[in-house]
Amino acid sequence: MTAVEEGFKAISPAEFFYKNKELAGFSNPARALYQTIRELIENSLDATENYGILPTVKVSIRELEKIPEGGYYEVVVEDNGVGIPPKYVPQAFAQLLFSSKYVLRQSRGMFGLGAKMAVLYAQITTGQPADVIVAPIKSKHIYSFKLKIDIKENKPVILSFSVTSNLHGKHGTLVRLVTLGDWSRAKQRIYEYIKRTAIIAPYAEIGFRDPEGNYILFERVIDKLPPPAREILPHPHGVDIETLKDIIRAKASKPIVETLKESFQGVGETTARRILEEAKIDPGKKSGELTDMEVEVLVKTMKNFKDVKPPRADYLSYLGNEIITAGLNKVFEPEFVYATTRKPSVYEGHAFIVEVGLAYGGKVPLVEKPLVLRYANKIPLLYDEGSDVVIKVLNESIDFSVYEIEFPAPLVILTHICSTKIPYKGVGKEAVADVPEIEKELENAIRDSLRELRSYILRKRKEMEEIEKAVTIAKYIPEVANSLSKIYKVDPREISVKLLEILNSRLKTFKIDDLSNVVV
Amino acid sequence: MTAVYSSKVDLQAREKALKILYEKFREVLKSIMDGNPPKLVIKKRTLSNTVYDPEKKLLLLGDATFERSFLDLREARKFMQTLLMASIIYESLTNGEYPTIRDLYYRGKHTIRYRKLPSKAIGEENTWEEQSESDSVIRDIEVFTNVLREEMLILSKEKGKVVGELKIRSGDDVIDLSKMGHGAYAIEPTPDLIEFVDVNAEFVLVIEKDAVFQQLHRIGFWKKYRAILVTSAGQPDRATRRFVRRLNEELKLPVYVISDSDPYGYYIYSVFKTGSITLSYESERLATPQARFLGVMMTDIFGSDKLRKKPYLTEEERKNFIIKAKERDIKRAKELREYPWFKSDRWQLEIDEFLTRKVKLEIEALAGKGLKFLSDRYIPEKIEVGDWIV
Ligand SMILES: Nc1ncnc2c1ncn2[C@@H]1O[C@H](COP(=O)(O)OP(=O)(O)OP(=O)(O)O)[C@@H](O)[C@H]1O
Ligand SMILES: [Mg+2]
Repeated sequence: MTAVEEGFKAISPAEFFYKNKELAGFSNPARALYQTIRELIENSLDATENYGILPTVKVSIRELEKIPEGGYYEVVVEDNGVGIPPKYVPQAFAQLLFSSKYVLRQSRGMFGLGAKMAVLYAQITTGQPADVIVAPIKSKHIYSFKLKIDIKENKPVILSFSVTSNLHGKHGTLVRLVTLGDWSRAKQRIYEYIKRTAIIAPYAEIGFRDPEGNYILFERVIDKLPPPAREILPHPHGVDIETLKDIIRAKASKPIVETLKESFQGVGETTARRILEEAKIDPGKKSGELTDMEVEVLVKTMKNFKDVKPPRADYLSYLGNEIITAGLNKVFEPEFVYATTRKPSVYEGHAFIVEVGLAYGGKVPLVEKPLVLRYANKIPLLYDEGSDVVIKVLNESIDFSVYEIEFPAPLVILTHICSTKIPYKGVGKEAVADVPEIEKELENAIRDSLRELRSYILRKRKEMEEIEKAVTIAKYIPEVANSLSKIYKVDPREISVKLLEILNSRLKTFKIDDLSNVVV
Repeated sequence: MTAVYSSKVDLQAREKALKILYEKFREVLKSIMDGNPPKLVIKKRTLSNTVYDPEKKLLLLGDATFERSFLDLREARKFMQTLLMASIIYESLTNGEYPTIRDLYYRGKHTIRYRKLPSKAIGEENTWEEQSESDSVIRDIEVFTNVLREEMLILSKEKGKVVGELKIRSGDDVIDLSKMGHGAYAIEPTPDLIEFVDVNAEFVLVIEKDAVFQQLHRIGFWKKYRAILVTSAGQPDRATRRFVRRLNEELKLPVYVISDSDPYGYYIYSVFKTGSITLSYESERLATPQARFLGVMMTDIFGSDKLRKKPYLTEEERKNFIIKAKERDIKRAKELREYPWFKSDRWQLEIDEFLTRKVKLEIEALAGKGLKFLSDRYIPEKIEVGDWIV
């Protein structure tokens, strides 16, 4: 046996994701087309609603050429968002792991990958660069880029750049890609994704032109935006060693007590001193001089420190009753709709809010089990349903018969989890892990909504019984009237009218306006 | 003017029934016009509301009533049916008709078409399906108005027959019931419209069995013993019972009943005498509390030490004529034993005898011993010595 020398080397993030596309959801042409669309739409929505702009998003897919494994498509997504400062555009679209969302603020984007994966996939399948046109808000200029990624170096390559003047004061971003896709196999998912986005964002206008030339417009049905997400300091319970090291490195010359006060929510002078006392660290010690041991102890102490306010949730962007019901009403026109937003709760130092909406009856299709619309930070989750926490809760903890629901039933359950950190099961953002705290909140919210539905169903059943009773009696009215008129020579119509009045006066929820509605 | 021919008594009966119907149902119309939910208050025709009046010795309808309200989901259909039937009867009375209960059933039966809500699907329902439904509301109307169907000139099948020295007026004809040849007069469904013109008889003999009735008729029993011979041919219908009651009440003739010697036979007698459980509302007019049970008795067959009574049958004849009682006969006898109107010592003795012997005897058996025995010994002797039960 001869010893073999292993060859070590480092690769760039671009090269890594080039080799592991499926990790980000780009596993085949169909899935890649779907993923491209959703990454771009999500970026557009982030760029609008978080800045108080009612989103208008135009999406189009055009087939350029058919090939055996699918086809080449031109994808264009345009929004009316805040745009991107021109100096950041190349990196934002052509350097993996570059993001404006690496802060503690709830948004759809979080990894700094989405747009780049779409560009990368387009580039390696068609060799075509990405076109990005931005009109930053209040900018006098419009900037156009042609970009490629240098995969080896993970660096943007600017193929062309031009500036024109922004005569009409537009703002927003347009991205155009030419990519490999498979429309026929992605079609259903893409439509489903857009439809579900329209449900959760009824304040957005979304237009979509598909490769077959169909155009569908989801109109804005409500002018109210969810409260904007705001950036927040990390909570002591959510800290880890690397985060803390980053923080003290940035504030190396400050006393550690000051660093703690400035860098964490819920930590004032007293709390900071008590934490440090417990960790046996001198509050006056310069942050940069903490030893590795001390950092470790400090993290442990902070994580377990009881006497601190729970993470704040007022910076989360939840939807609220009005938006959820507007969305459900718009798409399902249900006879019953209900939405509840739970009080904020916490897991591992992250605040989160669970919301649940129900739609029942109307145009909701009859289904053998409830149609579940899962959302996390307003993103529709379509794949990997089986491994999602919502499905786990529904399967294991909810007995629908308790709520008078018998399947098949026309029932939609919408769940929305929002947090500065969603515990996704992968960067493709398709399933949420089953964190016990989230599970509990989901269960409570679902139960709470189903109780409302139950009373509605019972009330309706009562009404139906009364309608049935009314018909049962009303259908005999002409018979009774005729019989009496034969004996007493009174106009039968007069008797009928009186009898109907008497019947109606005893009905609570329903009246028969005219006997001809019942008797034929 | 109606061209239909009608006798005077019929016309009077019609006038009377029309008037009562008109009065009784006016309440319904009034409450509708006043804006109140219409209802009918009717005496219950249930077993629990059937009471034995020991004073009058009659099975009567109790005082318990129920409300048939149009707005009551369970009663709405019946309410409609009751009014529908009332109007049909009212019309046929006005038109001088004589409907049978089957006619009334057909006349009222039609389809109600309606729209189910909220589906608006068309539903169909008949005013009534079975004749039992329309029959049931006829009974309700009889109870509600206190007018029997005969008095409303509703006809039913004739079953009872009668012969004897009796002249009656039926319609505009006078009929001599001693001149019926081998046949007999079929008691008409409206016996109240019969007028007794002339009678020459000392008692009424009711024979449950048609065949025995014919045998006695053929050998001239009624002539010889000055009897009026009646048969109900099984369970007595209303007309036969009413007719017998009138013979007893108006002509003051004692009534004797002969039936099989088994619990069913005894019960038939009691229907003549006290009324039936299912139609207890008619008892007051149909029952004959004075009716006497002449036989056949258990003690006629076996004799009785207690009554110092000798049997009419020899050991040998008993062997030939009696039949073993069946399980259901025994069961029925036990029920009978508990009815208040069978609670007398005399009846208890007969029933107990039946229960110990567990045998029964048909009247035909006595005729089998010899028609002469039946007509010239058994019947006259028992009447003579007063061997009957009231
Ligand atoms: N339509 C847009 N309007 C404004 N800014 C945009 C738009 N698209 C992308 N950006 C900017 O580019 C950055 C990178 O986007 P990208 O989709 O690659 O990552 P991300 O959205 O931050 O995270 P994720 O990988 O989770 O989507 C964003 O953080 C945002 O600042
Ligand atoms: Mg993104």
